Amino acid sequence: MKKVLLAILSLVMACGIGIAAVGCADNTSSDATGTIIVVSREDGSGTRSAFIELTGIETDEDGDRTISSAMITNSTNMVLTTVADAVNAIGYVSMGSLNDQVKALSVDGVAATADNVLAGTYKLARPFNIAYKTGTTNEIRDDFIKYIYSDQGQAIVTQENYIAIPEGDDQRTGSYTSPGNLSGSITVGGSSSVSPLMEKLIEAYEALNSGVTINLQTSDSTAGMSGAAEGTFDIGMASRDLRETELANLTGMAIAQDGIAVVVNPSNSLSDIEMTMICNIYIGQVTTWEQVKGESAE
Amino acid sequence: MTEEVLQDGKEIKRQIKVDPKELIMKIVFIIAAVVFIAAVVTICVFIFVQAVPALKEIGLFNFLFSSEWDPDVEGTGGGSYGIATMIVGSIYITAGALIVGVPIGFLTAVFMARYCPRPLYKVMKPMTNILAGIPSIVYGYFGVRVIVPFIRDTFGGYGYSILSASLVLGIMILPTIISVSENAIRAVPKSYYEGALALGATKERAIFRTEVPAAKSGIVTSIILGLGRVIGETMAVVMLCGNQTEFPDSILDGVRTMTANIVLELGYAEGLHRGALIATAAVLFVFILIITLLVSLIRKKAK
Repeated sequence: MKKVLLAILSLVMACGIGIAAVGCADNTSSDATGTIIVVSREDGSGTRSAFIELTGIETDEDGDRTISSAMITNSTNMVLTTVADAVNAIGYVSMGSLNDQVKALSVDGVAATADNVLAGTYKLARPFNIAYKTGTTNEIRDDFIKYIYSDQGQAIVTQENYIAIPEGDDQRTGSYTSPGNLSGSITVGGSSSVSPLMEKLIEAYEALNSGVTINLQTSDSTAGMSGAAEGTFDIGMASRDLRETELANLTGMAIAQDGIAVVVNPSNSLSDIEMTMICNIYIGQVTTWEQVKGESAE
Repeated sequence: MTEEVLQDGKEIKRQIKVDPKELIMKIVFIIAAVVFIAAVVTICVFIFVQAVPALKEIGLFNFLFSSEWDPDVEGTGGGSYGIATMIVGSIYITAGALIVGVPIGFLTAVFMARYCPRPLYKVMKPMTNILAGIPSIVYGYFGVRVIVPFIRDTFGGYGYSILSASLVLGIMILPTIISVSENAIRAVPKSYYEGALALGATKERAIFRTEVPAAKSGIVTSIILGLGRVIGETMAVVMLCGNQTEFPDSILDGVRTMTANIVLELGYAEGLHRGALIATAAVLFVFILIITLLVSLIRKKAK
């Protein structure tokens, strides 16, 4: 009896490990065929907002036309994970968040690189904005913003593969020196696309100003702006242009430019996609990879 | 305090001393009960006060039976708020998780209570406790990395589906079902089992025909606790169910549950949109209320 039990148990465990192993294995062998798995972001996401505007998924008459069968994920990382795991998936993420588990497509023949965004040839680009409540003052906040626009701060922007504010621009503040007497804490919150860059900026800033603590809270652009307006955040982050309703009581400014990369699984043979095709996929007019590749080949 | 006592037909009055410790403890218990009731009432009031204006504006019928969910994020006016797809999603995933979790959980409980050899029990008991302590985000991540690719490769489709979410949530409710059911079965007096054996029943018959019916109330409770956890589960579900606002055609399609809808959008929702999300919470609340009522009805009938 006990031996039988033991045998059953070990069999079950082996099965479990087997499933786990299959699940974790890389499916990099076959090319993408069949139904496209369309991955999008939640409605409040700045990446989504910028993406649907730039690709024409959003029109003045019909609003956001993203098909309702598109999978909705609530963070940049979930998009990356999904696309890295599913051969048939297509998604979009901030260019600076790209990793080697996914493949960025070139759009209309232009590769998704920082240089092309700066040159203006890569069309899927948007600003990274920060905003604070108009009319408020905060010594630490102002010094931190000064740091972001300094040579050191913008060097971090470039280093993280985003596009810095060009040198000689009015906003640039030159070389940064710490006032040395600041202490206290502020909270920065908002877009999950701006967050990775902000984290690096905060890290570097805190190293220069040991008395200052900056808390970073990540959600999405709309939450960042409403948080800044309500006073929850001293600085809000948005990965899209600010809306008129938001500008009523916020002062906004761009700290960098970012491209949006259209990503597919590395084993997908597709390497270039047209802007109209992106739109057609996301509004559900094109549903299979055969259609996408067929039209690209023509 | 005075008390009238009849003694030998005569009425005499006697003083009874109240222990101050007893009085203090009594107050402590009352305070605990009041805090608990206050918490429940506050949450109810909070949800319904915020939900009612939004429901009025959207219309209850529209809200419950429209499948069009298109919130007005830009603040330009308009937008439609119908949660029919999410109600269906919640029901499907809850049912799916119960189909997965209840048989496994129940049979494991029987095994652990009556069949399990001592050394194995010493391993299994802590295992169920560990399973109970794993945070739901970890279950979600496990689902995303293991279950979802497995489903996608085996059955096709997105992978992020009712099936994946049901499987993971089914695993998630196992510890609840196992430990509550096991305790219920163990609480059945030994004499039931012995009596059944004495009448010539086999071990299986004695367990499933006498002990399990006697422990029915406890087993039903375990299922209800599991159900409550599934319908209210948020973090793991939002990672696994795909979150589409569409009616699913099969269990390989994605859905959005009510909880997922709230957590996806509450962060930035304003005005009517926020009201609609709170109203979603109110609907969820009513759902749980209905389930609780149904169960108490079933139990009354069973008695």
